[in-house]
Amino acid sequence: MIIQTMKEGAGLVVTVSGRMDAVTAPEYEQKFEEMLSNGETDFVIDFEKLEYISSAGLRALLSTSKKIRNKNGKIHLANVCGNVREVFDISGFTGIFQVHGSVAEALAVIAG
Amino acid sequence: MIKIEHLSKNFGTLNVLRDISVEIGEGEVVSIIGPSGTGKSTFLRCINLLDQPSGGSIRIRGVDILAPRTDIAKIRQKMNMVFQSFNLFSHLSVLENLTLAPVKLLGKSPEEARTKGLQLLKLVGLAEKYAFCPDELSGGQKQRVAIARCLAMEPEIILFDEPTSALDPTMISEVLSVIRRLARQGLTMLIVTHEMDFARDVSSRVLYMDEGVIYEQGRPREIFDSPKREKTRAFIRKQQSSFHHISSAVFDLYALNAEIEGFCSRLAVGLKSRQNLLLLVEEVLQLSIGSPSSFPLDLTVNYEEKTDMLELLCETPPGTMNPLQLEGEQAGIGLRIVTNILEKHEFQQSAEKNRLVLYLKKQ
Repeated sequence: MIIQTMKEGAGLVVTVSGRMDAVTAPEYEQKFEEMLSNGETDFVIDFEKLEYISSAGLRALLSTSKKIRNKNGKIHLANVCGNVREVFDISGFTGIFQVHGSVAEALAVIAG
Repeated sequence: MIKIEHLSKNFGTLNVLRDISVEIGEGEVVSIIGPSGTGKSTFLRCINLLDQPSGGSIRIRGVDILAPRTDIAKIRQKMNMVFQSFNLFSHLSVLENLTLAPVKLLGKSPEEARTKGLQLLKLVGLAEKYAFCPDELSGGQKQRVAIARCLAMEPEIILFDEPTSALDPTMISEVLSVIRRLARQGLTMLIVTHEMDFARDVSSRVLYMDEGVIYEQGRPREIFDSPKREKTRAFIRKQQSSFHHISSAVFDLYALNAEIEGFCSRLAVGLKSRQNLLLLVEEVLQLSIGSPSSFPLDLTVNYEEKTDMLELLCETPPGTMNPLQLEGEQAGIGLRIVTNILEKHEFQQSAEKNRLVLYLKKQ
């Protein structure tokens, strides 16, 4: 898993590539811990390059989103597609998160 | 007619036949099927004493053929064998191949043996080839001559050792149709074969051999349509398996994924099925970590070429609970994923181990 970040206007765009599974999920959580402690609160997570997600990845996503919301932050997802989208759909996660068709769309919503 | 008890055969330290007990009734046509190297041919060769059994007993009409004073030549006259590689005498004509043994061993007159030989050649559809040399015949014709030669000895039992294995596909049916005709005539026959449709049609009983034993037996319909035991099912359904032992909850997921991907790639399993399988494997292992004492855990991926079905067998120590019955938020997400990609699942508990069989939905 590779996590890249880029500040775009009101939010921080976090691009996650590769796999979010039992092996990489702790890494994802740790990265968000760091970003939260650096004062970041509003995130757009770009899953365009994410190839695989399992329940371990979804749990990490859920747990970080709770932490973000506890800090009155925002989390929006973009480009959830392919296999990852299917896992989101069957696990009911599509309804839990705000999922957008593109990063720009998500950023626009954050900017309000 | 034939009663075999606790038959074993070792070659050095190799136990080819372990403990075979079976009875064959008069007029029965018994097909012996199973993977290569499981002792099917050795079993036939032991019955015919071409290989000396290491233990057990074989009785033909009550006569113990392993007793020291048994006349082996006489036994072989009653119980003749058709080999994979024909074993015809190449320097003799077709008819001479048929008349030699009846004259020498049964004491028939040359004329009587010749008349009978011609009748038998007619039976196997080769009457006009009587003067030919074996080398002038096709493989299928050679095997039909070998069957006629076997019949010339008026055997009570015929043992067929993979009679079509050395033949081109185009010649298999001519040999099988001759054997079918003999089956209808009520001859007692034991046939080692890889021709499953033939075994299904011709047999009164099918023995599935594996691991040097008769692993399962039954009527053709029972064995071919609803085999009870795992290895029989795998063989009949042309199932391929990939086995993985996971000794503890700390395992290398990526190494396991790579092995499973390699297996799927070799069998050209579709990409979507492959992805769902990998997801299932991870979810089941994660759920198992949540269920105490699930390890060591044996994971077997089975792929049925015939039906394009993928299944995952998860064997855990006895007493482990079914991971698909775990409760709580942690398990909930994984369970939702698993439930959605599965066609069905079965969980069996026994004193030896627990078995969870998961059948993936077809893609």
